[in-house]
Amino acid sequence: MNLMKIEVLGTGCMKCKRLLKNVEVAVRELGISAEIKKVDDITEIINRGVMLTPALAIDGEMKVSGRVADVKELKEILKG
Amino acid sequence: MASKPECACGDTSALAGGKKRIIFPCAGTANVGLISNAAAFQLTDEGYGVSTCIALLGSGDPGLKRRIAEADEIVIIDGCPATCGAKIADLQGVAIDQYIVITALGIDKVYERDYTEEEVERVVSAVWEGKGRSVDEATISCDNPESDRDSGCGCRGNC
Repeated sequence: MNLMKIEVLGTGCMKCKRLLKNVEVAVRELGISAEIKKVDDITEIINRGVMLTPALAIDGEMKVSGRVADVKELKEILKG
Repeated sequence: MASKPECACGDTSALAGGKKRIIFPCAGTANVGLISNAAAFQLTDEGYGVSTCIALLGSGDPGLKRRIAEADEIVIIDGCPATCGAKIADLQGVAIDQYIVITALGIDKVYERDYTEEEVERVVSAVWEGKGRSVDEATISCDNPESDRDSGCGCRGNC
C-alpha cells in the first residue's frame, strides 16, 4: 500500500506553519501513516498552479488553498 | 508565465480562512486572563481574526453589535471555568462559534502575572486547530454544587 503523501505549500509564512502544524495533529490523532512535506519553493508552488497560499495537496491533488483548515476539517479530508 | 501566488497572511477577512472572525479574550487579572489577552493579540497578528474588548461587548455597544452581526465566527477565550466571557456573550445574545477555556488546556490558574510564551502558544494553537468548536457545557459551567468547594476555576466558591 502506498504511503499517503501530504504536501503543505507556502513560502514559510505564519499561516503555512499553522496549516502544517494542524496537519501533523490531524495525522497523529487519526493514527495514520503519511509522508508530510513542506513545499516552500516559489517556483514549484507556481508550477503547481497555486494562486493563494497556504495550500494543501493530498497525493498530488489540491484540497485547500488560501486558508488554514482546522484539525476537524483536515481529518475529514484525510479520511477521504 | 504563471503569476506569483498571493499569500493569505495578514488578511483578516475573506482570504484568511474565508472567515471574518472576532476574538474576545476574557481579559481577567489572574495569569490565565493575561494569557487570554496575549493569545488574542497573537491570533490577531497571525491573521486569524481581530481581537476585541470583552468589556465593550458587556456594555452592549451598538457599533460592536453591528460588527458581530457581520462576522462569520465569534471566538471566546476564557481563562477559567468561571466562564465570564461566555456569560457576557450569552447576556448580549451573541452565539459562540469557538470556545476555549485555558485551564482546560492544562494551564493552572494562579493569581500571578507571570506566564510563558509556551502557554500562550498552547492557546493560540488550540484556536487554530479548532479545538473549541465543540463546546462542552459540562466543561464550562461553574453553576453547580461543586463550585462551593473547588471546581478549579479559582473562584473560591464565589461564582
